[in-house]
Amino acid sequence: MSMTAWLVLGGLAVAAAWAVAVYNRLVTLRNRIANAYGQIDVQLKRRHDLVPNLVEVARGYLQHEAATLQAVIQARGQAQGAADAARAAPSAAHLGALAAAEGVLGAGLGRLLAVAESYPELKADAAMRQLSEELASTENRLGFARQAYNDQVLEFNDEATQFPALIVARLLGFAAAPMLEATRSAQEREAPAVRF
Amino acid sequence: MRFWDRQNAARAETRRLLLAFALAVLLLVAGVHGALALAWLLMAALLPWQLPYPAGFLAANVGVSLLLVLGGWWVETSNLRAGGVKLARRVGAREARPAVSHAEQRLCNVVDELCIAAHMPRPQVMVLPRADAINAFAAGWDAGDAVLAVTQGALQYLTREELQGMVAHELSHLHEGDTRLKMRLAGMVYGLELVYHFGDTVRERPGLAWWFGSAIMLAGSAGWLAGRLLKAAVSRQREHLADARAVQWTRSRDGLGGVLRKVMTQRREAARLRLPAAAHGGLAHPAVQHMLLVEAPDEDRLSRHLDSHPSLQERVRHIYGRSMPPLPVAPLQDVPEPAHRAVQAPGAVPLAAQFDPYA
Repeated sequence: MSMTAWLVLGGLAVAAAWAVAVYNRLVTLRNRIANAYGQIDVQLKRRHDLVPNLVEVARGYLQHEAATLQAVIQARGQAQGAADAARAAPSAAHLGALAAAEGVLGAGLGRLLAVAESYPELKADAAMRQLSEELASTENRLGFARQAYNDQVLEFNDEATQFPALIVARLLGFAAAPMLEATRSAQEREAPAVRF
Repeated sequence: MRFWDRQNAARAETRRLLLAFALAVLLLVAGVHGALALAWLLMAALLPWQLPYPAGFLAANVGVSLLLVLGGWWVETSNLRAGGVKLARRVGAREARPAVSHAEQRLCNVVDELCIAAHMPRPQVMVLPRADAINAFAAGWDAGDAVLAVTQGALQYLTREELQGMVAHELSHLHEGDTRLKMRLAGMVYGLELVYHFGDTVRERPGLAWWFGSAIMLAGSAGWLAGRLLKAAVSRQREHLADARAVQWTRSRDGLGGVLRKVMTQRREAARLRLPAAAHGGLAHPAVQHMLLVEAPDEDRLSRHLDSHPSLQERVRHIYGRSMPPLPVAPLQDVPEPAHRAVQAPGAVPLAAQFDPYA
């Protein structure tokens, strides 16, 4: 073979090695996005698991607020159902329903804690204090998990849309991932008031 | 966003400083050889008879000084490697007990929350029960024995948001491998120090050895000083990086900013009452000094250039973009704090956002 042929072959081999490296890096980043998404799910589950405990502790003090407690339990059931549906088939409709259900649950929890505000014995209850700290922490975890998801998406998008890697990304069909927008619906925008 | 830029700047600066460090070691070795060669030539000129220049003089000098520097580095590093938990226990820390104390439950939760934001494994959480000053440190060679210790004062005086800022700063040190970097640098500086001590030892012998010892000591002390200056400069850049990280993870400037401003007040009070640094518990220990959130005050400091941390005022200026007054320090009542983001009516714009696009 001539010198030119060797050069062309060498150039192709280098380009192929580079493309493989870029591909692997993009796949790693995409998997990390999936993992970050899973983290949000974990925190939602944590929130669902906390609700029954919170309601049990509050029930002892809040005999006259049965409606509020009932609403929270109901919202929790719906949110759990929506989460299961979204986990089974993460379509846009299911995710939207999940966001709405979580919004209702958050609002219900906010109301419960607002009501608890006027019951000093409940506020002073050690178990209640521990639970409301856990709840405050869970809300933060949820926020941080979303933030981490978006940071991960930013990293992937930076990698997949910058110039030389962009060629590989386009050829192999790596689309830019969408960020989570916490403010897609008015319900979601409402933070639960965990005030004590 | 500004904090990304700050992080990049701090990383680039660290790289430059590490290069300078390598250069300093090379210069030290060259300096030792130069000083010894000069001493030899002087001696040869003064002596009445002819002396041949010793064969392998360069190789011996370079070999011995590199042996000292690298050997010292290796010995000190393997000492420091003993592990973060062990180090924390040595300065009087104990494990946090989330089931017993509400404040420690809050601390453990805050650490968990930020580990989610930072995508990192959770370090061992510890408390320094005897330290009333607001402070914290992170230590550990790798993720396996990483430890994050917080003083009792921090638990007592910081709101949940401020605790988040403080923990985020320390987690950044673990995340970026700063604790390891700092231990390595401490080891290197020790290696440079060894050359100086070697010269001192040689000098004690009578006769010509005094000249040679002095030559080695001179080169060694220059290297040691350069090493300490560079180590401090690297450390200051890492602090800026960690501050920027804390703002990124918490998306809040009042968290870490509030901590630093409360520390300012505590410092001022301590200076006014002429309190000794005893309130720091075991934190004045040299092994953790460079890993603290804020340096334990030290009187006999050579100059600002040997400080391992930027000044509080400078850090606050970096975080807020302008100087801010100190905050009053008062113990919290033992009540859970509201969630980290203030609740506001949908669509409302916080007051700060009208003046500051980063608020």
